[in-house]
Amino acid sequence: MVLTTRRTEPVTILQRERSLRPDLLLVLPYLALSALGIVMVYTASAPRNELLGIDPGTTVRRHIIFVILGFAVFIAASLIGGRTLRSLSIPFYTGSVVALALVLAFGRELKGAQRWIEIGPLQLQPSEFAKMAVILALAVLLANAGAELKWNHIAAAVFLVGLPAALIFRQPDLGTMLVFAFVSVVMLFVGGTTLRQLAFIALTASVMAVALFQVGAIEQYQIQRVTSFLDGGADRENANYNHLQSQIAIGSGGIFGKGLFAEDATQTNLSFVPEQSSDFIFTAVGEQLGFVGGTIVLGLYAMIAWRLLVAAANGRDRFSQMVAVGIAALLVFHVFVNVGMTLRMVPVTGLPLPFLSAGGTFFIAMSLGLGLAHSVWMRRSPVPDE
Amino acid sequence: MNIGWRLGVLAVAFATLFSILTLRLWSIQVTAATDYEEAAQNNLVKFVDTPAPRGQIHDINGVVLADNRNARVAVIEGALVSRAGRDQLVRNLAAFSGKTAAEIGELVDEAQARGDRIVVVPELTDEQVVFLAEHPEDFLGVRIVETPVRVYVNGELAPDVLGYIGRPDADDLEKPGIKPTDVLGKAGVEREYDGVIRGTSGRIKYRINARGEILDQLGEQLPSPGGTVILTIDSPIQEVLNSSLDQGLALARELHREGGCVPRDADPGCPVRATGVVLDVTDGSVLAMSSIPAFDPNIFVEGVSEEEWARLNSQAVFNNFAIQGLYAPASTFKTVAYIAALEEGIFPQEVDTHQGLYDCDGLLEFRFNDGSRQVYNDWLADGHGEIDLHGGLQASCDLYFWEIALKVWNGRGSEYDQDLLQQWARKFGFDKTSGIDLPFERRGLIPDEDWFTTAQEETPLLVRDTPWAGGDVMNIVIGQGSVLATPLQLANAYAAMVNGGTVWQPRVVDRVETADGTVLDNPPFAASALELGERTDELLRFDLQQAVNGSRGTARTAFANFGENVELVGGKTGTGEVIKGTGDEPEDVDTALFVGVAPINDPKYVVVVIIERGGSGGRIAAPTAARVLQFLLNGADGVTDVGAGEESD
Repeated sequence: MVLTTRRTEPVTILQRERSLRPDLLLVLPYLALSALGIVMVYTASAPRNELLGIDPGTTVRRHIIFVILGFAVFIAASLIGGRTLRSLSIPFYTGSVVALALVLAFGRELKGAQRWIEIGPLQLQPSEFAKMAVILALAVLLANAGAELKWNHIAAAVFLVGLPAALIFRQPDLGTMLVFAFVSVVMLFVGGTTLRQLAFIALTASVMAVALFQVGAIEQYQIQRVTSFLDGGADRENANYNHLQSQIAIGSGGIFGKGLFAEDATQTNLSFVPEQSSDFIFTAVGEQLGFVGGTIVLGLYAMIAWRLLVAAANGRDRFSQMVAVGIAALLVFHVFVNVGMTLRMVPVTGLPLPFLSAGGTFFIAMSLGLGLAHSVWMRRSPVPDE
Repeated sequence: MNIGWRLGVLAVAFATLFSILTLRLWSIQVTAATDYEEAAQNNLVKFVDTPAPRGQIHDINGVVLADNRNARVAVIEGALVSRAGRDQLVRNLAAFSGKTAAEIGELVDEAQARGDRIVVVPELTDEQVVFLAEHPEDFLGVRIVETPVRVYVNGELAPDVLGYIGRPDADDLEKPGIKPTDVLGKAGVEREYDGVIRGTSGRIKYRINARGEILDQLGEQLPSPGGTVILTIDSPIQEVLNSSLDQGLALARELHREGGCVPRDADPGCPVRATGVVLDVTDGSVLAMSSIPAFDPNIFVEGVSEEEWARLNSQAVFNNFAIQGLYAPASTFKTVAYIAALEEGIFPQEVDTHQGLYDCDGLLEFRFNDGSRQVYNDWLADGHGEIDLHGGLQASCDLYFWEIALKVWNGRGSEYDQDLLQQWARKFGFDKTSGIDLPFERRGLIPDEDWFTTAQEETPLLVRDTPWAGGDVMNIVIGQGSVLATPLQLANAYAAMVNGGTVWQPRVVDRVETADGTVLDNPPFAASALELGERTDELLRFDLQQAVNGSRGTARTAFANFGENVELVGGKTGTGEVIKGTGDEPEDVDTALFVGVAPINDPKYVVVVIIERGGSGGRIAAPTAARVLQFLLNGADGVTDVGAGEESD
């Protein structure tokens, strides 16, 4: 696999314009997953809504609105130039931190966690955008740092990630914190950290965690949330139930699945899997489309991830490269943790599946991220044979 | 700047993560697919048990004594309560049933934990049924089921025989196949034949969704109703026994205190209970069995207030005294020594045959080895004059039988076995359970030296510390001392004495007809057959007839107004001496007994009546039994009210 192309000729206006063509290998999987998402959300939500006595299409209609909004955001983000984005990064980061603080102060409590903020009729989850903000801020930092990372850069990186992480910890949303950790480690690694520096970061994080416990900055209920998370849910039995039902649904799909809306796709139709249209959407795929469908979905994600890495390799500057790497890490981590959860490999964390899960903010945020990375490709270093 | 290798590493890492997911997907969906398919099926199939109606209980004429009616009951189906809907359900049910949320919560949790049904509202009104049917979404997991409920058609007719039902206790739950929601027989035939009466519960297989709503019924295994039990009880006889015991008890109370009395601690002499058995001597069938005061077994189905329960329980009404009451048989027991005398040729000193005369002067001197002496008085102070064995029995002369006991005692170790008389008693079924098909039967007691010495060691406070003596055997022959027998044992012994020696294992169930039509017979069973002398039972029957009809018979006055066929009645009175109460004037609370036999020329029935604290047998027990015998010999028209007889032994 060729990840980099060598710049051999000066850039011409013509070549620049030609290079603004979209990367179909990235856009098509994105569209395919979004379309599949709509179908899956409908199959998973309609029988449930019927049971509740409301219009079966309620959930999916809401989802479709977010998908359309997401597409718009994707196109817009694809058109943002690297320089503009770079200049917007720090204000975006600052705004996200402020929004997180606001959620903490005024947010609405949902299922025991304050993650939502209401702006008019919209309920937004600032933490989804905070993920993007951290990627952009880290990209700025790493771009400024140059090829060789100094210890003060590392310290700054820890601070940049630590601040929103602390705010989210107070919310608390451990899934998102793990996302921060994974994404920043990947970005720092690609950005040029030495192994020693990575080890230092790991050590600092551990010491800080212990220190927080020691000085009592963490309340008892927070510890419980952490431990219950590590156990697999506050209500262990409940979490296990979700886990098991999810695994049963997928397992019963077999190789080819039971088909969409199939009478015998009972686990989906009869609502045995909890939270199916959001966090457990992959179970609907697994049961109805089987191993073949599941593999295709995973393949589509892998394809996007590959295109993002290619975009990173061809990024015209270090900032762009880092943005693409960060988005790739974000996507892969979500996919792995979410699908892994439905397959009972990792604990239930509440991380949705990109482009498939119902959940407006997340779809828009992921579209934004993908658009930004797509923009990196479109403005990549020119290649001779293009 | 070249970030190529670092991206390469990342690409490999990502590829690894995707591979892991794919492999895991493969292992779940392809390798282990069948397991999960099965688990998915089980997710939506639930089984719900449906109780079987208990079998009916009929009397020998086919009269239904225990039946079932259908009640509409609201049950929580544990298997159908969803996890998410639990709290909502508890709130709704609490509002619906009027019970507290805490109570309902417990029931729901228990039902869920067991995956079984628990009754929340035992009997729904029409309005309640309509309400539940119209709001199914508010009561997910609650169902209205038609449940067979036990009904005792004429509850107080034969509660001691029928028994009653209830929920299993801890011991019952140990048995295989018993669920806490089952209904079991707790006493009587309901208990003894529970295995055939209970039937087998059915099972309904439902397809449900995750909220516990029933989508459709996949299959049903119908419950198999319990078998119909046909008793040997004959309702008309049972009714007459009941009413006679009622009258007898009321009369006894009237005699004790004008205007009657109520048994209580302050009035220890008030008659407490009347118990009776009518036995068919030809096959050991129990035709009637009763103890008064009775109870209505329906209260165990419908529930009973605590006060009422306490009141009933304080009178021990739930015990079947015909097989659990232990009484000194008193003079009714003299027939044992009578037969032993005829069979073994044991007569008073200087009397050689059963016709040899003995002077029953009312006083017996018993000389001990040390020269001291004890005087025994007959129940009739002046005695009965010159009598033989027959007169002795007819007039119930204690002295004659004491002499028999003394003869055995004095000849012990050489001429006679020391326990000869006790052995005869045991031959007729005393000192062991009769084996009747009812639970909780007691065995009674025929004391002997072995028993006595053991009792001295084990319960020294209850037994005197001097050795077993001739006086003890004298007590035995007149059915006193430590001799104890149940009314049924007494009836069964007399049956054997007058039927030529067959000791039946009494039975209350004639047969069981199972749901599929099979008839399970419970035929008469002879526990043993005694070889008695040719004329023994003839002589006995004659003397029993004389005790009722003869000029010196102890039951003569009780039968004076019997009406026709009185000459076909034989019997023996008994008065068990019991001293109760303390202080200067201990109250006399004798047990009144009578055993009647009819028709005496070809015996069919034995009737035993025992009235606890009733006083003289001839005065109160004999007239009570007479009323039953009137019915047996002369039919319903021949029955007259119970009136007191003359005081006698």
